[in-house]
Amino acid sequence: MSKRPPTRVVAAERVALAAIVGVFLVPVAWLVTTAYKPTRDIFSYPPTFAFEPTLDHFRGVFRYFDLVSLVQSSLIISLGSVALSLLIGVPAGYALARSKSRRAVWVAYFFLAVRMVPPVAPLIPFYLMMRDIGLLGTWWAVILINTTLNAAFVVWMMFSYFRSLPKELEEAALTDGCTLFGSFFRVALPLVVPGIVASALLCVMFAWNDFLYGSFLTSAETKPISVALLVAYGTKDISWGTLGALAHFSTIPIVAIALLLNRYFVQGLTKGVS
Amino acid sequence: MALAQGNTIESGRAPSPAAAVRRRLSFARRRQLFLLLFGAPAVLYVLVVAIWPLAQGVAYSFYDYSLLRPAARSFVGFENYRELFANDAARNSIVTTFVFTLSAVTLEFLLGLGIALLLWREGAFQRVCLALLLIPVTVTPIVVGLVFRALLAPDYGMLGYYLAHWGISPTRGFFGDPSTALGTLVVVDAWQWTPFMALILLAGLKSLPTDVLEAAEADGATPAQRFRIIVFPMLLPAVFLALVLRTMDAFRVFDIVFSTTNGGPADATDVLMIYAVKQGLQFFNIGFASAIANMMIVCIAVFSVAFVLLVRRADRRANEPAQ
Repeated sequence: MSKRPPTRVVAAERVALAAIVGVFLVPVAWLVTTAYKPTRDIFSYPPTFAFEPTLDHFRGVFRYFDLVSLVQSSLIISLGSVALSLLIGVPAGYALARSKSRRAVWVAYFFLAVRMVPPVAPLIPFYLMMRDIGLLGTWWAVILINTTLNAAFVVWMMFSYFRSLPKELEEAALTDGCTLFGSFFRVALPLVVPGIVASALLCVMFAWNDFLYGSFLTSAETKPISVALLVAYGTKDISWGTLGALAHFSTIPIVAIALLLNRYFVQGLTKGVS
Repeated sequence: MALAQGNTIESGRAPSPAAAVRRRLSFARRRQLFLLLFGAPAVLYVLVVAIWPLAQGVAYSFYDYSLLRPAARSFVGFENYRELFANDAARNSIVTTFVFTLSAVTLEFLLGLGIALLLWREGAFQRVCLALLLIPVTVTPIVVGLVFRALLAPDYGMLGYYLAHWGISPTRGFFGDPSTALGTLVVVDAWQWTPFMALILLAGLKSLPTDVLEAAEADGATPAQRFRIIVFPMLLPAVFLALVLRTMDAFRVFDIVFSTTNGGPADATDVLMIYAVKQGLQFFNIGFASAIANMMIVCIAVFSVAFVLLVRRADRRANEPAQ
């Protein structure tokens, strides 16, 4: 805005913003700190805010959970799904952006519509399908179904990134004797790297945070950490502290990555939808 | 497919000699073929892994099909759909979902708009606040539910204890009482998704033409007038976009409900996703669960078409010169 507003207004705005941010961060702060709180302080009555930090809960996490296997499952599922989604989604986004057919836009809308389906709708038939072909309980089942949503997202994202890229560069490369694939791979692709990073980041987040598919399509050996989190709750031995400690391996890495790559994260959230 | 049939004439090129035209045409053909090959894997993948199961779901919804008695599968026509409106639990679930969606989206919109206006000014402080505000969006939804369950627990919860102590919350806590459980879930959903709403609205605010805003300011319009007459009407496309995205997401809420109340107490928070998952994957009533899921798809389709029409109208209005 043009005119410099009075400092009083700016200061009031900042105070309001800081207060809002504070309120929004309370639950996250609780989640992080509860991991270092001795159990007797978590379950003190009335609740206390001060505590002596301890690492007991992290020991508990290793005692009650096969953490390596959980994190491994989550990594395999999310990285597998992201790799597959980018592999089929980026070329498709390019094809739709460069096609001269007017129906290309409708194909793009088709991908957008796939993302809007409530996840339970494909899940039930997919569950039976996986059971019949013997993939139920394997990582493949979760990777395959996560990839439909993620690939649809990638297509839509990359469609908008490639569309905003001037065609002239690729045409110049073609005139210079570059192949069609070369004009995609060596000219267009390097220019949309931010888009690829943004799509990959959001796909990792979706797949990593997914609970529904993971909980119904995996078995005890292949279950991801998001599913184990629910177990870390409620029972006597496994307390909120364990939940907080477990969250250090599930939730907090994603939060940290999104903060570090904030620019791409914001791009992904805004561009993926408009 | 659509891509292959695109026109084969390079647009905006001067006519060239016949041989060159033939080469150009064949090049355009080759290019279309290349693009088709590029797009095909994703289309095929989605057809096989998403559309095929969805089609099967439509078929299942016309059967009385329970996995507990797979042999007794029988065609029942629209019986499962009739059940959706005849059965009390199903009707309750539909109403609950609509109440949840409407309240959550309204709350998120009002808060989100306020936050977006506060973030509008350019500055490092605003950028840092935005980055921090987006943290809730990234937190695993299952964990969001668990954190709020812990915070609001009436006995040991950091907030719940005092809320119960001062008589603000029911004695069994906000999640434990049928009259407050759904409202509490609305607040939890708002905690996670208001920042996203604010982000979309902020993107809309930042794309407004500054000259119009400056002109209004120069004409001496008060901030309230500027907002009501200039900013809000021009922001409408972003508003509708934000609303449709959140409506569709809130309508299929699952994780935060599953990890807090799982539909209870009684059936106060039994939203459609919870109901469908219970029917399908716990009681194995595949036919009925498919009918619920299909009804949800129809509802979401109706929302999105309605919103697309609204966005188009708002876009047209926003692009007209201010009167």
